[in-house]
Amino acid sequence: MTVLTRAVAPAALPRSAGHGPAAARRRRTAVVAYLFSLPFIASFAIFMVFPLISSLGMSFTDFRSTDIPTPFAVAFVGLDQYTALFQNEQFVRSMVNTLYFVGVGIPLTMAVALALAVALNGAITRFRTVFRVGFYAPVVTSIVAVAVVWRFILQPDGLLNTLLAAIGITGPDWLGSTAWSMPSMILMAVWRNMGTLMIIFLAGLQGIPQEVVEAAEVDGAGAWQRFVRVTLPMLRPTLLLGAVLLSVGYLQFFEEPFVMTKGGPLDSTLSISYFTFNQFGFGNYGTASAASYVLFVAIALLSIVQFRAFRTKE
Amino acid sequence: MIRHRLLAAFAVATASTLLVSGCGRAESPGQTGGAAAGLSDGPATGTVTIWAQGTEGEALQDFVKPFEEANPDVQVEVTAVPWDSAQNKYQTAIAGGTTPDIGMLGSDWMPGFRSALTPVPESIDTSDVFPFALESTEFDGASYAVPWYVETRVIFYRTDLLKEAGFDDFPTDWAGLKDLAKAYQDETGAEFGISLPSGGWNAFLSNLPFAWSNGAEVINEDQTEWTLDSPQMVESLSYLNSFFEEGLADKSPDTESGSASADLVSGDVPMFLSGPWDIPGLELAGGEGFEDKFGVATIPAGPDGTSTSFAAGSNLGVFKDAENPDAAWKLIQWLSQPDVQAQWFETVNDLPAQQAAWDDEALTADPRVAVFGEQLQSVKIAPTLVSWTQVSAAADTQIEQVFRGGKSVEDALAELQSTADSLGTGQ
Amino acid sequence: MGSATTATAVSERSTRTRKVTSARRRSPSGTVLAYTALTFALVATLIPFAWMFLGSVKTEAELRQRPPTWWPQTFTWDNFAAWFGRLDIGTFFMNSVVVAVFTVLGTLVFCSMVGYALAKLDFPGKRLVFTLVLVTLMVPGVVTFVPLFVVVSKLGMVSTYPALILPFLAGPLGVFLMRQFIQDIPDSLIEAARIDGAGELRIFLRVVMPLCGPALATLAILTFLGSWNNFLWPLVVAQSEDMYTLPVALSLYSVGQNSTNYGVLLAGSVLIITPVLLLFVALQRYFIQGIAATGIK
Repeated sequence: MTVLTRAVAPAALPRSAGHGPAAARRRRTAVVAYLFSLPFIASFAIFMVFPLISSLGMSFTDFRSTDIPTPFAVAFVGLDQYTALFQNEQFVRSMVNTLYFVGVGIPLTMAVALALAVALNGAITRFRTVFRVGFYAPVVTSIVAVAVVWRFILQPDGLLNTLLAAIGITGPDWLGSTAWSMPSMILMAVWRNMGTLMIIFLAGLQGIPQEVVEAAEVDGAGAWQRFVRVTLPMLRPTLLLGAVLLSVGYLQFFEEPFVMTKGGPLDSTLSISYFTFNQFGFGNYGTASAASYVLFVAIALLSIVQFRAFRTKE
Repeated sequence: MIRHRLLAAFAVATASTLLVSGCGRAESPGQTGGAAAGLSDGPATGTVTIWAQGTEGEALQDFVKPFEEANPDVQVEVTAVPWDSAQNKYQTAIAGGTTPDIGMLGSDWMPGFRSALTPVPESIDTSDVFPFALESTEFDGASYAVPWYVETRVIFYRTDLLKEAGFDDFPTDWAGLKDLAKAYQDETGAEFGISLPSGGWNAFLSNLPFAWSNGAEVINEDQTEWTLDSPQMVESLSYLNSFFEEGLADKSPDTESGSASADLVSGDVPMFLSGPWDIPGLELAGGEGFEDKFGVATIPAGPDGTSTSFAAGSNLGVFKDAENPDAAWKLIQWLSQPDVQAQWFETVNDLPAQQAAWDDEALTADPRVAVFGEQLQSVKIAPTLVSWTQVSAAADTQIEQVFRGGKSVEDALAELQSTADSLGTGQ
Repeated sequence: MGSATTATAVSERSTRTRKVTSARRRSPSGTVLAYTALTFALVATLIPFAWMFLGSVKTEAELRQRPPTWWPQTFTWDNFAAWFGRLDIGTFFMNSVVVAVFTVLGTLVFCSMVGYALAKLDFPGKRLVFTLVLVTLMVPGVVTFVPLFVVVSKLGMVSTYPALILPFLAGPLGVFLMRQFIQDIPDSLIEAARIDGAGELRIFLRVVMPLCGPALATLAILTFLGSWNNFLWPLVVAQSEDMYTLPVALSLYSVGQNSTNYGVLLAGSVLIITPVLLLFVALQRYFIQGIAATGIK
């Protein structure tokens, strides 16, 4: 508690550049910083450097699964794998599908998770634990069980269509129709991921001082205005975190179609990751690696956009 | 020790950077298997490690006890591996050099894995193994694994509803099969007459029995040219397509495992193609009293051919990195003995690869197993080429476009042929 | 530990008072609406679970029935018996626990250290380290999977606990998460401690860490979950059954080549998720006592 009282005291500290004790302290800070960063640097050096270099290298060769016992007897093909990818109709299709999934899935998941977090944070006072655990529960479930259960919901005579029939709607064959297969995947993804985002947003909402919100209330701001003018801007770093985590995950979307549709019907749920997975299965390691790095670039680009969009104006 | 290995890892990492600049593919694959090693005399010794998937993996440890008793100095260590992603597990183990002595390898994995396997020693007698099963292990004149068990596809159908539909015996030709499908639908209230895969993973392969039964071939005899757009192939796909067009088969059937058998039990779809595992599968799904209500029949022949089905199975191979190949081969030799194979059938229901085992009472007792035996006399396997999985996937896409998307059979097969040609037939 | 308990108590009390005041201000109709909407959403979210739990006590024949049943026609514990009947269940459970616990502990310590350095300390190469974190986070796991296994096998770690734990200890996700959270802690707090002559380690342990409660709780549950449900890595790394974790065992016993045993699968899933749900129930209260409760910002 002593820390807190003291925190109020200093405003801005004068920064002296150059030599002397300040420089010495910066050096010491740097040493400490390296020590603190060591776990990641060591882990990266041991476990990531080789996989990154070798897989990137592989994407410039015609490496196939049968080359594994003799990894150096492969041919360097330059950018051929990459150019071939963009001429591959199925790969282009998988990019469009991934874009569809990400474009609808991310905003939807963010909105649902944010609504839940805000509701659980302020709108209600009782049964919070029940709601929190309930909404988080889907995250906990392993994908194999999810597959069995969701088939029960989505099959033509399944639960969803039974419910729709009760209100007079004839439901489609969710997984068997090219139009509805992707919305089904998005629905599942929202269900599975909203809990993770909800707790991240809850943690973020807790960081917003109640006083600021109350001050806005005193100024006569309505609930919606308070949310848009005060809560959202203060939640920016958390929203950024959520958006980046979600796009890293969603751009690699694979599990849902893998257990539910195998990428079908007619490639309508084939994602880039699924395409990559198939190429690994065919033994085309070079092609698969190239596809992965195309995906990496997409993830990086989207994240840069998000970093820009959510950057707090200081 | 650890530091030493770290250095080794870094050495590999640096080497792989060089990989980009200075290396190239040799003119010939250069994967000479070397002369098959002979086996030592006397009993097996040491520790033999073996990976086996699913049920086989669970049952094998107890099953090999007699082998361990006969070879007191040997210890067999079985690791049960889940079927899910099993291929990935073997593949990574090969890359990391951490394979067991013996692997249980799906016959369709052989093209991808043979470069990591040692040739079968000549002292292991495979002369009585089903020829198709041996074919899956042979590359460039050498054999790289020993077939363990086999499977093939036949038609499962409702015997009680067959009478109701006005049939005494199961039809043996295409016209008869279609009549039966119609009669099931009209006379017994079935929703669809037959369940056929309309798309998705391995849909093409699952429908190949019809093509083969019509004299069509996927590839020529010496596996150098794809023959996917032959008139017989067109005819067989058109025949299958007519089931979808006439509403005799569901255009988007539930592909989940167990759903076809559920529909057969309920009578909604009284016929489907499947393998031996569905005999116990249907008995389980149907519950008590159902075992008399279903039968199996060989694939009906097309106008230009004879009944021919698809066959596969699992082989036992010894990896190049094996630490105890001598004892490993001796174990495989033991597992291939006809009486041991018959016993293995009683344990896990795997159909023996050794033909002599089929004379055992365990196999002759069940008439349904006998039908599988009959079908196994006329079967084909998938091409043993690395590019096959990719051709197969392209074929799945094409037939899905035919069955569900209304594309013409001729166009689809012409496209498939050109895709396959571009993928080639190289090893 | 004493001060931590006090802090918890204080924060809970302050949250509660705040809640009371804000609830008093809220209109009754709004509250009813909120509860109705949330309850509806909760039911929709939990339906799949209800079916999973009910399915785990159905017979295999009933699970394969079409159309599917909702309430079990006959209750059976056979699916659970299939799990507890196996002697190995204890081994698999212990493996999962050991791997998850050590992964979580290591992740919390290492990721907050690295996150702190990246958020609050200046050093040459900081941008490079952060870029590497992002690259590691963003490269699809599928492409580095096999080479990573090659590294682990060259280090002689195959089929050991370290192979299941070490590669995940300083994960990029955790580092990124902690960096983002620690960035929000006011610099003034840290500077004040520095002026008081506190060393960096002391600042980290006494100033930064106590404020990271919600972030650490979030990271703990995410890491635990990732480790607990991980399938492919343990499958490949564990080369003997005594190293299998629960998801690998679940797959082994329920998913065959051509058929799935749905009863065993659902019962196994219930057994796997129950500990995680309990853990979440235990940890979730840390999400409500946040930085706000301590009165900074």
